[in-house]
Amino acid sequence: MAAKKSLLPALIYSSPFLLFVISLYLGTYRIPLSGLFKTLLSPLVPAWKAALPEGYAAIVFGVRLPRLILALTVGAALSVSGAALQALFKNPLVNEYILGLSSGAGFGASLSLVFLGPAFPPQVSAFLFAIVAVLLVLSISSRSESPIVSLLLTGVIVSAFFTALLSLVEFFASPYSLQALFNWLMGNLARPGWKDLAVSLPFVLGGVAVLILLRWRLNVLSLSDEEARSLGVNLRREKFLVIALATLITAAATAVAGIIGWIGLIVPHLVRMITGADNRRVVPLSAALGASFLLLADDIARSLASFEVPVGIFTSIIGIPLFILLLRKSTKVWL
Amino acid sequence: MNIRVHGLAFTRPGFVLSVPDLEFAGGRLTALVGPNGAGKTTLLKCLAGLLPVSRRTIFMGERDLAAIPDGERARLLAFVPQEHAAAFNYAVREFLLLGRAPYVSLFSMPSPGDAARAEETLAFVGLSGRGGRAYQQMSSGERRLVLIARALVQDAGILVLDEPTTFLDPKHETSVLDLARRLVDERGKTVLVTLHNLDMAVRYADDLVCLKDGTVAAHGAPGAILTEPLLESMYEIPMRILHHEGRTFIVR
Repeated sequence: MAAKKSLLPALIYSSPFLLFVISLYLGTYRIPLSGLFKTLLSPLVPAWKAALPEGYAAIVFGVRLPRLILALTVGAALSVSGAALQALFKNPLVNEYILGLSSGAGFGASLSLVFLGPAFPPQVSAFLFAIVAVLLVLSISSRSESPIVSLLLTGVIVSAFFTALLSLVEFFASPYSLQALFNWLMGNLARPGWKDLAVSLPFVLGGVAVLILLRWRLNVLSLSDEEARSLGVNLRREKFLVIALATLITAAATAVAGIIGWIGLIVPHLVRMITGADNRRVVPLSAALGASFLLLADDIARSLASFEVPVGIFTSIIGIPLFILLLRKSTKVWL
Repeated sequence: MNIRVHGLAFTRPGFVLSVPDLEFAGGRLTALVGPNGAGKTTLLKCLAGLLPVSRRTIFMGERDLAAIPDGERARLLAFVPQEHAAAFNYAVREFLLLGRAPYVSLFSMPSPGDAARAEETLAFVGLSGRGGRAYQQMSSGERRLVLIARALVQDAGILVLDEPTTFLDPKHETSVLDLARRLVDERGKTVLVTLHNLDMAVRYADDLVCLKDGTVAAHGAPGAILTEPLLESMYEIPMRILHHEGRTFIVR
């Protein structure tokens, strides 16, 4: 039992590296492992660079590497913000989109794609409206007596509002921009390149790192508000900090990759089943497992058919049955 | 450390708590008794800094409670809630460690010293060896002991317990109150506790504070203040005080 307990986390921590190597190898254009290795190190070893076939560098650096890095970081971001918000809202069924973020981002992207055209990157508008939606939720619910319940309710209402606005924009959209919008809404890791990564990565990595540092504090924040306050927590300040971090990394990830559902709910849940509720383990393990989960989902999405299936569809198709399974297996008490 | 209340007024719809002057002596066990809705828990939560109170109404030693920052207050006073409604099922050891929160800065982890403190406290409350158990799987009596232990891990001089014996069987009621007594006798803590069981209050408390309709009806050592007219006016039913083999029983 003890051996099993220490083995699984070690396996989870090493899985992103393993999957990274496998995923780098996967693709329509076969590059042998030795070729991959040499291509990766070719910027450091000029002699190898000259000897490699011409297409290798373009495929590895231009296509596969940014995509893999995006999958790993977006998966980690969604899972960590899910775990953090679940602790903060004292509810293991909360997900990272509960604050209206995804519908805000969806509406933002639709505005940009439909009215500014596909040439203008929809990420900017998606990011802005994701933040607007969360700010709206926070400001409406802040006046309530029971902040958690009203926060969740307001999240639902604001989501519905932005979904309605999104439908309105879709109604006026041309078929061409509608196609681009659908592609974005379903989550797609193929499109973004280094430029998108350069914008989202600092937010995502920074936010994930700070939430990992806050992991024990999340245990304290997961107690009832009264208990947390009696333990000396400055609730207003610390809740704001966690919500701001979770929003920032989810908005940055969603703006670049589109809406990718269910990861933030399933991954922390799985981790708690393996390791227990202590966020000192749950948060970093969620980062690792989330990274692997999305990378694996993306691998399947791009190698299943001759065309790309949007990965957001895939995470939902894998995620929902998995979640039902978890619900049935877990006892009455939430782990 | 003693607690002084001076001109405290707390109002919420349909209820006013008004305490002109009250002092809880340090190093003693004080029980707050009175009928439901008399203001016991409200007073307790005011004292614990969990309800907003005006400046210069409550003093811990010489310091104004309203002016003490949250983190520092948690090192002076620990609050034991009636129940912990757990969304997440922490192991007892992890749960106790949360009591170190006032000493651990925002971005750091509890130290091995903090873990040792939790372990030692677990032994003190008689639950050594249970650290690995899940909090939710403990009996309700054991959970109360764990909640008290978490407050003890806070290393505060004052412990405030909100109805720690409600819903407990006589055996666990006794073990919780034995523990409260030991906190005073062995660790020199100041303990404030709300109780419904008057026999137990008389038996365990050094002082009683009797509350009725948001005001203090009487305050002092049980033997000195408890009279049948006082009890009858508090609870509005006939009550008798009996003495038998050196102990006091309250019957109705």
